[in-house]
Amino acid sequence: MQSSTKITEPKNQWTARLLEFWRVFNKNRMGVIGLGMIGTLVIIAIFAPLIAPYDSSSTESAQIGDIYNPPSAAHLLGTDDAGQDILSNFIFGTRVSLIVGTFAAFISIIIGGTLGLIAGFNGGRTDNLIMRFTDIMLVIPDLPLIVVLVALTKPSLLNIIIVVGLLGWTTTARVVRSQTLAVKSRKFVLRARGIGAGNRHIISHHILPLVMPILVVQAVLVVSNAVLTESTLAFLGLGDPSALSWGQMLNYAFGRGAMSIGAWWALAVPGIGIVWVVLGLTLLGQGLEQVLNPRLETHHLTPGRPVVQNERDEFGSGKSADEKSGNILLDVQNLSVNYVADGRPPARAVENVSFTLKEGELMGLVGESGCGKTTLMLSLLRLLPSAGQIVNGKVFFKEKDLTALNEEELNIVRWSGISIIFQGAMNALNPVRTVGDQISEAIIRHLPDFPRDKRLDERVIELLDLVGIASDQKENFPHQYSGGMRQRAMIAMALACNPQVVIADEPTTALDVMIQAQILELLDDLRKKLGLAIIFVTHDLGVVAEICDKVLVMYGGVTAEYADVDTVYNEPRHPYTQELIKAFPDLTKPKKKLTSIPGYPPRLDALPAGCRFAPRCPAVFDRCHIEQPPLHKLGDMHFASCHLVEGSK
Amino acid sequence: MGVELFPRPHNLKSFTTSRSALNRTRILLRKIAWALFTILFVIVLNFFIFRVLPGDPARAGIRDPRLKAEAIEMLRVRFGLDKPVINCFESLNPVKLGSCNVNPLDTQFFIYVRNLLQGELGISYHTNRPVAEVLGERLWNTILLIGAGQILSIFIGVVFGVFAAWKARTSIDRAAVISSLVAWSLPTFWLGIILLFWGSKFGLPLAGKATPGASTYPLLQQWGDIARHMFLPTLTYTIIFMAEYTLIMRSSLMDVLSEDYILTAKAKGLSTFQILKDHALKNAMLPLVTVIAINLGFTVGGAVQIESVFSWPGLGLAIFEAVARRDFPILQGAFLLLAISVIFANLLADLTYTYLDPRVQTE
Amino acid sequence: MNKDHFLEVRGLKKYFDAGRPGLFTRSRDIRHVHAVDGVDFDLHHSEVIALVGESGCGKSTLALLLMGLEDPTAGTVTFDGRDITHLNDRQRKDVRRKIQMVFQDPYESLNPTQTIEEIISEPLHVHGIAKEKGERDQRVRKALEDSGLKPAEVYLGRYPHELSGGQRQRVVIAAALVLEPEIILADEPVSMLDVSIRAEIINLLAELRITRQIAVIFITHDLGSVGFFADRVAVMYLGRIVEIGTMLEVLEKPGHPYTKALLSVIPVPNPRLRRERTILQGETPNPIDVPTGCRFHPRCPVAIEACKASDPPFVPLSKTHQAACLLLIK
Repeated sequence: MQSSTKITEPKNQWTARLLEFWRVFNKNRMGVIGLGMIGTLVIIAIFAPLIAPYDSSSTESAQIGDIYNPPSAAHLLGTDDAGQDILSNFIFGTRVSLIVGTFAAFISIIIGGTLGLIAGFNGGRTDNLIMRFTDIMLVIPDLPLIVVLVALTKPSLLNIIIVVGLLGWTTTARVVRSQTLAVKSRKFVLRARGIGAGNRHIISHHILPLVMPILVVQAVLVVSNAVLTESTLAFLGLGDPSALSWGQMLNYAFGRGAMSIGAWWALAVPGIGIVWVVLGLTLLGQGLEQVLNPRLETHHLTPGRPVVQNERDEFGSGKSADEKSGNILLDVQNLSVNYVADGRPPARAVENVSFTLKEGELMGLVGESGCGKTTLMLSLLRLLPSAGQIVNGKVFFKEKDLTALNEEELNIVRWSGISIIFQGAMNALNPVRTVGDQISEAIIRHLPDFPRDKRLDERVIELLDLVGIASDQKENFPHQYSGGMRQRAMIAMALACNPQVVIADEPTTALDVMIQAQILELLDDLRKKLGLAIIFVTHDLGVVAEICDKVLVMYGGVTAEYADVDTVYNEPRHPYTQELIKAFPDLTKPKKKLTSIPGYPPRLDALPAGCRFAPRCPAVFDRCHIEQPPLHKLGDMHFASCHLVEGSK
Repeated sequence: MGVELFPRPHNLKSFTTSRSALNRTRILLRKIAWALFTILFVIVLNFFIFRVLPGDPARAGIRDPRLKAEAIEMLRVRFGLDKPVINCFESLNPVKLGSCNVNPLDTQFFIYVRNLLQGELGISYHTNRPVAEVLGERLWNTILLIGAGQILSIFIGVVFGVFAAWKARTSIDRAAVISSLVAWSLPTFWLGIILLFWGSKFGLPLAGKATPGASTYPLLQQWGDIARHMFLPTLTYTIIFMAEYTLIMRSSLMDVLSEDYILTAKAKGLSTFQILKDHALKNAMLPLVTVIAINLGFTVGGAVQIESVFSWPGLGLAIFEAVARRDFPILQGAFLLLAISVIFANLLADLTYTYLDPRVQTE
Repeated sequence: MNKDHFLEVRGLKKYFDAGRPGLFTRSRDIRHVHAVDGVDFDLHHSEVIALVGESGCGKSTLALLLMGLEDPTAGTVTFDGRDITHLNDRQRKDVRRKIQMVFQDPYESLNPTQTIEEIISEPLHVHGIAKEKGERDQRVRKALEDSGLKPAEVYLGRYPHELSGGQRQRVVIAAALVLEPEIILADEPVSMLDVSIRAEIINLLAELRITRQIAVIFITHDLGSVGFFADRVAVMYLGRIVEIGTMLEVLEKPGHPYTKALLSVIPVPNPRLRRERTILQGETPNPIDVPTGCRFHPRCPVAIEACKASDPPFVPLSKTHQAACLLLIK
């Protein structure tokens, strides 16, 4: 379909794309096995007359004694009810099955693809009409309908192809429609309209290239379905008597006493052929699907990797003596986290980060995206994805080393000691449970003695009230909340078990400025009211300046600068901090030209040698490219990792 | 208070309650209306397939040499074969298809609909018994087989799927996926044949629903007899459909377990079991319910094959026999009954989904 | 007609039906989302105007209306003295060469199957200009390099996923530039980018306005980011412009209480300058149920009784500055 549109592109590009695709596909074991299985059969079908030991319908020489002979040298797979060689019939049967499957699927794919594309692209009434019709066709049992139709017409191969083809398009239409809808709603289609492109251009250049892969996967599955249907029809006695397909072979064998004679070969061989085709196509389809639409094969319940301690303290830790004196809740020492992937060097996502957090203190954790902020926070409670591993360091929470606890001991600290406010998108709350229910769940988990009656309800209402949500919203589901309210609900949930430390991971990103201000004010209030210690993760320096006591600036997984908030803004020593501040718009100086930091943060699996900021640093010199700077202590509460500050105070 | 696995919307007390309740009634009514329309469509389709395609059953029936003259006359009147097929509705129909200027109530189509409403589906050519009577008992046998098979395959499929997803990338997972893919590729009727072969070695009953003469047994023994007969067909059914449910449950649960709210649950200190039970299972089941609803039509295809192999006296076997005997009234009736049953079952599954997913009620 | 008013927007409205009407819904029962509810403004040659507002204020719908990607319910848009409110496809295509758009999400606004070269040459292909290969290549290269992706050869054969967010946004800008437009409509072009990269995209737009005399309509939710390059600022609330004036006037002498509140919550990157903030409570009301009188009164910290009843007119504060608030009427 529509392949004419691709002619306008340079040819070599498409070869390159195909080669690239093959390179990826080649690694998919399922897909390759499936392709091999199908390939073998296609070859058998094409060269059937050359391979088959006997002619396709040589019954003339058949004697009574030839019927249902078990496998022998003359007939490798035995003979059937008419004394024919089963191997030869099997080989010729391949042709029938593949022809019916391919042609019927072709009809289905054309109809389903076209209808799906029209419905998805046009939307509105057309879509409604087509999809309603599809739904009806989907609900009507297909096999009985096919049986009726074939029984009422002449059971010829052509009729079977037409009937199976005409009824097999429904899933394709649904799949293509939803993919078309998804592609159509993407911004690049809107952009193409903005450029002035018409519908034809948009369909051929933007919709089809993204629908095609799914259509290919679908086609593979439709072929397998058509092969199955044909053999079923033949087995039920509705096959073309002149074309001996596998289903027809089974029909004869089953109907003519193979069972009672015990001629298992006559029943097994054709069936294995069908399974071979269908399994091959299914594996191929699965393989294609996995390559075209890759999904992670791990999830949040995949067991994490064990903590290891490499005890390498080559860089100075960010801990100062006098900080020990305060009421320290959280003491992170030389924490390092790697992401481990098979066959690749580990990505050093966090390296040698140390900080402390006192009661009632608010620390800002700042850096561009991809600098390891979230990894650092998740590693504190060992909530890393399964590829993440703590490779060094300790996390002391009230003198207890969290890296040494087992999962059950850790589960007690989680939420009741340290809780997390996740980014307030819809996804951090379970969509099918009410907000109140999700809050009380945490209470029940951590305060087993808490009375489970009205007082539990009252506690939930109290928590919601604390964050400014009306009590009648308790029984509502997250999707009934606005974005700002969901963030508040998340905060209420984080406070449910009276934790001492709350980690807020970009809680205001993606919220409007006014809602953002509301949330910041709320967190600041709660800190004062409840004496919470808060770690506030953000890429927004302005937010940090407004509410934080101290700031840890991260770059490329390491501490760039760690100081109290006034020092960070007024006497920054690390060039990265300095540049970040210059890039931030300052309303008090509206005419000031903004500067940006050229380049991008390093990829954590391809870190530069020496200082990680060196490639973007305005003050870079030779040593930076060779030697990674240690964290220098510049004051009681001021650390920076830059060669330039070495020896200075 | 314990954690509610299925939050019931009638517990809601806020403003949204009334709105969602209203919405729910509207959705319910819309779905029922839609099911009725689909049934209407099937009835019309059924009429035209059998009238338009070459093997016109009524006429073929009249030509059946086994019928006596009076019987033919009776059939002609009952089906109105002397009447025009439909009213052409002249104003809508410029090519004047069909006969015009006739009373629409005096056409074959109207008679067909009227007969249907009276439960009149014609007379079997083969047994000369009314189709409705023959199929009535068979419908229950099919429902018994499909019901047992569905319950078993859903249950086992969900359990396997949950284990496979939970233990993703382990050997348990791989074994579950590969065996499901293989089972999914088996032609239903062929698996039936293989199991028949295998079952014959153990002396299991191979055909029918009951041993001849079993109706004289005591009730308990009768049931035991039916259960023995059901064993192989149900096993076949379960293996075929369990595979699909395993794969769907696995991929659906994999998606859910990668969601942020699972990380939230983990951060809350919930145990793996609690997370699976309270946060993942219901969310992952929702897509499965949709698939079950969509698949019902397909399921019936499996039943036709299984009943044919095991001579299980259901609608599927009726279709199989009717095809062999060219007994069109039975074929027409069986198809109609199957289609309508599937539409009802689909409606049921659809309504379950509406009930289970709180997001549907306030769309 | 004022010749300097290059783009004139008068009384522009866009209502959407709220919810899908059922079979038995009477047409008068259908409720409307008042996405854009009477917007007037002018744009001068090579001027940068910033449209500021929170989500739900209708700024993105306004952008789509100006692009002709949505049909307005009422009002007119005049471009270069020509009414472009309702056009047929051919006329629209003509206008589209002159007005180009840059979208918020650089990850979504590029087709992942196209190379950078295909993306940037696509507009030329669509409009049938520069059909000759040499000329086309030259224009594509120039657009890329003008957008700061130098040297062009490095980028031409790449796919979007091989580029960073900032680079992608530059590609989107290059694809807009290749048609040599007179207006660029930038809908939150930097809000998905890291702070460190935002400045370079804003600087790029500011530069284009000087080198190519392109007028820019810069849509954003962040008043803080408009400072250095906008000439004028228009603040939107619930489908209306509530204040419009030059950048310095709006930032330094805001007239409308909403503008004042918005300004007060913008974080200042200096802990020594922490100040009192006016944080409005609640959220922007649903544009289905627009409040009576002044639409801001339910959240307004200084609202008086009269605000509930009468919809305030624009009050001129200077020749170039006006705001719609009853309290400004003296």
